[in-house]
Amino acid sequence: MILDADDPFAVLGVAVTSTPREIEREAQKLLGMLELGFADAASYPGPGGPRPRTADAVRAAAATLRDPRRRLAAELTAGAPTAASTPAAPPTTPRLAWPGALARTGWGPRR
Amino acid sequence: MAKSLFAGFDLGTTNSAVAVFDGEHTEVIRNAAGGAVTPSVVRIDKNGRVTVGQRARRFLEDDPDNTASEWKRLMGTGTTRAFPAAGLAKKPEELSAEILRALRADVADQLGVEVERAVISVPALFELPQSAATSEAARLAGFARVELLQEPIASALAAGWRADDDGTATWLVYDLGGGTFDASLLETRDGLLRVVAHDGDNFLGGRDFDWAITEHLAAELGRATGVTLERRNPAHAGALRLLRLAAEDAKIELSRATTAQVVLARPLVVDDRQLEVDLTLARATVEAITAPLIERSLEVCLRLLAGHGLGPGRLARVVMVGGPTIMPHLRQAVAARLEAGLAEGFDPMTLVAQGAALYAATTGLDGRATPATAVPSGGVKVWLQYPPVSADLTPHVVGRFVGASPPARLRLERTDGGWQSPDATVAADGAFVTLTSLVPRAASTFTLVATDADGARVAVEPATITIVAGLTISDPPLSRTIGVALASDHVQVYFERGAPLPTRRTFTHTTVETIAPGVADSVLRIPIVQGELEHAHLCRLVGTLELRGAELRATIPTGSAVEVTIELDRAGCLTARAHVAAIAQVFEHVAHLLVPDAAPAALDAALADQRKHLAAVRTDAFRHGLRAVLDKLGTVETLLATAEHDIDAAHGGDADAAQKARRTLLEVDAILADADLARSWPELDQEAQAAAIAATGAVASHGTAAERRLLDEVLAALERARRARDPAELGRQLRLVNRLRTAARERDPDIWPLYLEHAASSIHEASDLPAAQRLVTTARAAAAAGDHDGLRRAVKALWTMLPIDAETRRMGFDSGVR
Repeated sequence: MILDADDPFAVLGVAVTSTPREIEREAQKLLGMLELGFADAASYPGPGGPRPRTADAVRAAAATLRDPRRRLAAELTAGAPTAASTPAAPPTTPRLAWPGALARTGWGPRR
Repeated sequence: MAKSLFAGFDLGTTNSAVAVFDGEHTEVIRNAAGGAVTPSVVRIDKNGRVTVGQRARRFLEDDPDNTASEWKRLMGTGTTRAFPAAGLAKKPEELSAEILRALRADVADQLGVEVERAVISVPALFELPQSAATSEAARLAGFARVELLQEPIASALAAGWRADDDGTATWLVYDLGGGTFDASLLETRDGLLRVVAHDGDNFLGGRDFDWAITEHLAAELGRATGVTLERRNPAHAGALRLLRLAAEDAKIELSRATTAQVVLARPLVVDDRQLEVDLTLARATVEAITAPLIERSLEVCLRLLAGHGLGPGRLARVVMVGGPTIMPHLRQAVAARLEAGLAEGFDPMTLVAQGAALYAATTGLDGRATPATAVPSGGVKVWLQYPPVSADLTPHVVGRFVGASPPARLRLERTDGGWQSPDATVAADGAFVTLTSLVPRAASTFTLVATDADGARVAVEPATITIVAGLTISDPPLSRTIGVALASDHVQVYFERGAPLPTRRTFTHTTVETIAPGVADSVLRIPIVQGELEHAHLCRLVGTLELRGAELRATIPTGSAVEVTIELDRAGCLTARAHVAAIAQVFEHVAHLLVPDAAPAALDAALADQRKHLAAVRTDAFRHGLRAVLDKLGTVETLLATAEHDIDAAHGGDADAAQKARRTLLEVDAILADADLARSWPELDQEAQAAAIAATGAVASHGTAAERRLLDEVLAALERARRARDPAELGRQLRLVNRLRTAARERDPDIWPLYLEHAASSIHEASDLPAAQRLVTTARAAAAAGDHDGLRRAVKALWTMLPIDAETRRMGFDSGVR
């Protein structure tokens, strides 16, 4: 849904480089935790502070990342700075335009 | 401890089947006569005794009036089938319930288990009322709970279960059943099955092949005897039925032999003449007469592939499902046109039932009344969440102990002794998360080993859990957009096509008329529609939420807020609820959840209308030299010819053909509406450009950062739709652009005085004139005082009092909300 602007990677708490299997595993775990009312699963760090995490949001985020085209779009816009995020580590490859540039443009570790 | 038992039912047009899965193996349950499939035929004799399956099928020839078959396409239509000998009339769902009851008894006979919960498959393109009727059939057959599953997903699950490739593969399920055709494009990746898309023809099936052959035989017979058998003549129905049964047998025989003899034991009686039937049917003839039907199915497949940027030759394999796919020439045609290998080694007749059973395991829907794991062991109770079937070999198990003093640690030990998890710490509130390790392609059982702070073992309940390693499916996507029709004939979209199921959304609408309590014919309608087009009248009505005067506690005045919630489960079954806060009342009554009637006279009129519409569109397209539009109209010609043929049969009393004609005419309607859009492309294109400019300005000055980012995305999609010259998609993106513009503009304080004057200019039409006049006064005072919020509130309240003209509202299925 185009008007749900939540970053699916943030909703699931996974890295943009995660494999489909890791994403499914995390989504399944979060759905279980939400079902049993775990307090630490009920929110995630968003751009303007913690945001509520619901089962519907987890399912929608997993569905977005399952579709390769929608996942690519999500990768390009992922990673807005969050209130809880730690300062970025110094870039390991000085030639990159900005940290994480490879990941954002769809490059990942060889699978 | 008893093993779990997962049951799947395939309720087919011609044949039905049931399979069970025990966590390791699937087994197709044979019926009392030893068959793997049970014909979907029900007979009721003069004493009211019900016979189903093969024994009933024998009576199709001798006692057709009291023997029913092929009602699946009529599910959810409100028609009934009479059984004159017993003086009974049964709805299609009641007939389906008889089949389910028989299959359920077969499971009980062989396995000693009364299946309480199960999965039932339905065609992917079943409309909502048809799905609801299927659930009702299950309830009548005595099931406590069922889930519906789309047939192509079931076949894919069954075919993919044994697949060894762990990589990514794209494949197609070609499912030609007795009455419907479904083509589904699927992708497996890392053991996860994803439905990329599906398409199909709700009215193309083996039955149409049988009719094509029957009509050929009737023509041959006519040549030999001079008697013309007509489907539109009710007096010929009996003779045609006999000829059709013979055609069906000949078709099956021709799967092996090159010629078949069509001989009837008794002469046919037509118009008081006795006709001996002794004809020869060659395989080549059958191939020629069924070729157009096969071509129609292949066009659906190629359209589906093209829609996803795939050409022939790009599929890893094609899975063939359904009785008619046994025909050798059909298999060759599919393999040749799609340039793909056919998956071998699967039984096309029972694959769907096997897949449904596997799916029951995926959703943890144990068929037994009391799940095997619920046997109390007297330990500390723990609530657990884990996938009953997992493609991932190391899924998480999440749990929470009940009670004030939970154990300190927990680990899982696989019962084969091959693995145990590290100790997970249990939090003070009893919560824990741990990992497992599954044996590939098998069921793994784990013992829960809990210990207290001193390391002493604590008994827990349940003591064990079982997880099966296998292919799983992601949340199935919604096949068509669903929304609420508004009084303005527009649609408020609730769920876009492709939305993952299950899903739920709530929107607040405003009523456009007053409903008084205690008045029986005072009803406020909230129509729920399914379709991709912007105008409600072009979509299909699938249900109406009704707020009836007779049930009201108090008056609902015009302009009241109604919160409408629509929920869809994994099988696409719909529930809807309206909450009227003003009178604190909730309405859940969804009426008319029926496929509309298809009376032959109404179909005749609709056909004539469509012909007129076609002529108008064609003349216009010629005049303006629009080739793209003319190309589309070729299909319409063919579809109208098919519809005419079916309407003829409908006049002869064939309710199924009537439904088929209704669907064909709806399809024509959609194509013509699309052609209309294409005709108005230059205007639409201009409108899109103007909207883009207006929205860019409004969002740049008054939009939030999120709106600006969204507008960029939407404008890119708008541009793509313009380049692809896709009017429907352009319309959709245009709606989004306008929504963003409205949202941004409403933040502009200078716009509200203009809105106020515009609304005040038509105040004489307001539903409540004194109230509207008071609002105008309030709004003007707020504007003068610089109270923007007050001004906005008053103008919005004023809007709800202005009328929508009756004609527009009628087009929007008499919707009572906006």
